[in-house]
Order: sequence, then structure tokens, then C-alpha cells
Amino acid sequence: MRRLIPALLISAIAFTHNARAEDTLNPPHWQSQGTFGSYDKAALQRGFLVYQTVCAACHSANALHYRDLTALGLTTAQAADIASSVKLATGPATLDDAFKNPFPDPQTAATAFAGAIPPDLSTIASARPKGTEYIYNLLTGYATAPDSMTLMASHYYNTAYPGEQIAMPPPLKDDAVSYADGTKATVAQEASDVAAFLTWSADPNLDARHAIGLRAVLFLIFLTILAIATKRKIWRGV
Amino acid sequence: MTEQTKPWLESRLPIGQAFRTHIRDLPLAHDRPYLAALGTLITATVIFLLLSGFVLSLYYVAVEGEAFASIQFITRGVNDGWLIRSFHACGTTMLFGATYLAIFRALLTGAYRLPGELVWILKLVFLLLILLIGYLGYALIDGATSYWSLHQATTAGGMLSGFPGAISNWFFGGPAGPGTLPRLAVLHGLLTFICLGVLVLHYFAKRAIATIPAKTVNLHPHYTSHHFVAFAVFGLIFAVLVFFAPHLGENPLNAVAANPLVVPAVVTPPWYLLPAGAFAGALPGTMGGIIAFIAAFAVLFAVPWLDRSKPGALPSGTYKTLTFILGLDVIALSLTAAAGPSAISAILTIIFTGWYFLHFLVLTPLVTAGETK
Repeated sequence: MRRLIPALLISAIAFTHNARAEDTLNPPHWQSQGTFGSYDKAALQRGFLVYQTVCAACHSANALHYRDLTALGLTTAQAADIASSVKLATGPATLDDAFKNPFPDPQTAATAFAGAIPPDLSTIASARPKGTEYIYNLLTGYATAPDSMTLMASHYYNTAYPGEQIAMPPPLKDDAVSYADGTKATVAQEASDVAAFLTWSADPNLDARHAIGLRAVLFLIFLTILAIATKRKIWRGV
Repeated sequence: MTEQTKPWLESRLPIGQAFRTHIRDLPLAHDRPYLAALGTLITATVIFLLLSGFVLSLYYVAVEGEAFASIQFITRGVNDGWLIRSFHACGTTMLFGATYLAIFRALLTGAYRLPGELVWILKLVFLLLILLIGYLGYALIDGATSYWSLHQATTAGGMLSGFPGAISNWFFGGPAGPGTLPRLAVLHGLLTFICLGVLVLHYFAKRAIATIPAKTVNLHPHYTSHHFVAFAVFGLIFAVLVFFAPHLGENPLNAVAANPLVVPAVVTPPWYLLPAGAFAGALPGTMGGIIAFIAAFAVLFAVPWLDRSKPGALPSGTYKTLTFILGLDVIALSLTAAAGPSAISAILTIIFTGWYFLHFLVLTPLVTAGETK
């Protein structure tokens, strides 16, 4: 008992410390993935830039609002600036507007892309097994098709996509965006950052969930120990 | 105490008397295992689900095409909405976990044996009810697999004729349309109250057949401290789920809004509906599925009479081993259903379902016949 509590505290501190580290590219690793992980906000901001510059041209993210961007570490004024730079049918977007949908309805999108509808990206990271890695692998998975394979019309070879043929053309290229923090915008870096951003989009409460969860679980372990001790004392001699 | 000196309320509505008679002064056994607290935990969880479900219903929009977005709003735009939603989802997991465990324990210990047959039947009625409520809750999410599961169910139900068709029509209100989700939302909440009623009946049925223990302890502090441990451990498992695995046992494909134009690759339900879904998929066609499901429950209801043991006999080692194998069989069957349809899973489903019926219809009568007191 006396040894257990300091051990729990030390592991708690070790875990929270670990959670402050950054996402890395080599090997691809996202801080949000550990049991007690949290988001690398710099990576989220870079990922939003990639999303806004590249993905948003074809994909919607209906569950997101411009006000949510403050969760990436932006100030309300910065989020409002980003919103006002987006032109909606009703005029410039405000903080309470949902992210702009590039197409008025799925039929228009289907017409524009020969029947393939770009999926909504709000929750895509939770809708695929190992979503974060999947997005990264998909965006970096374009290659020349092997000779034995015949691609369907307007499809591209991709090692990560089920069936290895995808209707989405390679979206990323080196220096597609220019990062404010000076990070070199390689395809892998952009893919890693946008994977982090979409993971946040699908699970925006992860930081709070893990922070509260750690305390709740430690408390309940302590409570369980107390409960067992109480029960044993009361039932002694029964 | 005379009528004159009794407090005003107690002399008109004897709540205190009822509490003393039915809870406080019961002869409580001194050798109570922790698993015996499952009934209290299940009751507490149902009440917890009612409360969290009530809060969710304040923001949930029961309209096809808008329901999914309203849940997204709850988890993103409502203060602590994500927490309440996880409470409700993981509370469901805890409820089913505890109920499956309680039913398995009743099978293992032979608690269903006469005169325990009514207690056993009430357990099964409760399981049937929460399966139905769980399915309704899953349909209310209106994600991709929820939507297609509901549409497949109502379409198949609509093709039935006679009594099964009437039941389906009464329940779903015809093919899935604008009226379906509001209807299911009401049933989802209403049936939960009936569930609580079944728990009360179960409590009294169990009391009626309880034997008076040789050595007893008090409700307080003995049973309260005993329950304190059970609740702390239960709460700990619950917290781990809520904060570190809130989507355990869900099909990831249900994490996107339903698209009426795209059928998901695999329409599998959450883990707690998998055993029921697996039985329903064991025979081809809608009527086949219904017959297989009813048969799977019918043998469970018939267990007290399939069991040929002498009155008062305790389950033998062979019987217990077979019951553990049955538990593994149902888990294997559920995992097969989760993997989605394929040639191998079709064969495995037949094998696992076959073993299930073999266990109850052949092995249980054979093995228990030799058990004596």
C-alpha cells in the first residue's frame, strides 16, 4: 500500500510529461495515440492549413465550426480572421458558421467527379480502423501502378486504399503550403499534419478526456483500495 | 409504537415499514460472493442510463438525416456533452456486461433449477428487453450502419405476413420514414421503465424462494461495505471505458453520417447485440432469422425443464466445464458475426450455433440426469 501510491503518482507524472512531446515524422508518430496522449497543437495548426488549402477544395467537414479553431491554440481573433477570409453564399463566414461545404449537395459533387463523392472529413479518422495512420498512409501511398494492374478510368494507384485504386488524384505535393513556423512542407510532413488535424476533428475532446480520465482512474483505484480495507475491517470476525 | 405516536407520513404511507420489511431486516447470508452484487449494479446502471439518456434527449433530434448531426453537436457544442454521451454509451456496455455475466453465473451455479425457474425467466425477459432497447438506441444514432440496419429490418419486416408482419408493423410503424426515429426514441425510453419494473419483480421472486441462511449479517455496515467494494470496482472499469475506450465494441463505419446512396461494407451492430445478431443470421431469409432467434431464446427459457437433476442437487464438474465451453462458444459465434459474411463464417456460424443447441437439448439433460444431492 505505502509503496503503491508513490508508484502510481510517478507513473502519472511520467505519462503526463510524455503527453507534452511533439508529433514526429521519422518514424511517423502522433502524440494523441498513447493511452494518455494529447494533441501536438503546432501540428494541428499546420494540419488545418493543409486542410484549408488542399482538402477543403473538394471535401466538407460539416461538424466543424470556425469557433472550434481556438482548440488548436489559435486566439479568437485569429479564428475570426480565418472565418472572415472564407466567402459563403451569404457573405464572409463568422465564428459560428460551419466549415464551408465546397458543394451545395452530393449530386453536384458526384457530377463534378464522375460519380465519386468526396466523403465528409469531420469524423473520417474514427470511421476507419487505425484512422490516423490510415490517412497518413493513404496520402503518402500514391505510386506507379504495377504493370500487371489495369486501372479504371480516372483512378489512381494507391497502396493504402482497399482495392489499391482510388478516385482521388494525389492531393499533396512538396511546398503545397508554406508553414508559418518554418517547418519544411514535404508531402510526408503535410500528410502527417493533416492526419493529426483530422484525428482532432473526429475526437476533439481527447485532451480533456485523457486529463480527466487519468485523475478519475487514480481516484477510483484509491477508492477501491479504501473500500476493500473498510470491508475487511467491518467483516473481521463475521 | 401506537398509531397515535407514529409520524404523520408513516401512519399514512408506511415507506419506512416497507424499507424495514423488504430491505433492512432481511436475513442476509454472511458468505455472500461479490458477484451477488450484480443485481444491485444492474439496477443502478439502468437508473444511470435513464438519467444520462434524459439529458441526451434534451438535445437529440429524432429526425432521419439530422439525428447524427445532433449527436455531433452534443459531443462538440454542448458543455460536457461528450462526457454524457460516453456515460450513456459505456453505461450500456457495463449493463450488458453485467447482465451477460449474471445470466452465465445463474447457468453455472444451477440457480435456474426449480424452484428458481421464475427468477431465471425474469432474467431472460430482462435480457430480451435490454436487447430491444439496445437495438433501438443503436438505430437512433443514425450513423451509416445504424441507418442500413434499420432500413434492412423494416424492409424485411414489411415483407412478412400474418402475425410476424403485424408485430413488425406495430413496432416500427411500417417502412423506415420520417415517423420512424421519433417512434423509436419514445419506445427506447418507455421500455427502460418497463425494464425497471422487471427488476423489481425479479427481486421479489428471488426473495420468495430464498432459504434462510444459518449465519446472518446486518445490512449496514456489512452489506453496505460489501456493495461499496462492488461499486468501486464497477466504477473503475466504467471510468477506464469512458475515458480511454469510449468506442469499444462499436463498428467504426457507424462513426459517419448515414448516406442513403452508399451501403457500408459490413453492417455489424455493437458488441452487445452480436450474439442476438449471430443467431438471427444462422438461418437464411427473414423468417429463418426470426425462427433461429426465437429458438435460441426458447431453449434458454426451457433450461429449468431440460435439466434432469434431482431436487437440491448441485451442478457437477462436467456440467460446469460444459457451461464454460458454452460461454466460449457464444463468444466465438459473436466474433464470427463481427467479421462479416464470408464462406468460412457461414460454416463457423453453423458449427457454433449447432453446439449451442446441442449443449441445451442433448448435453444438459444427459449430464444433469446423473446429479444427485
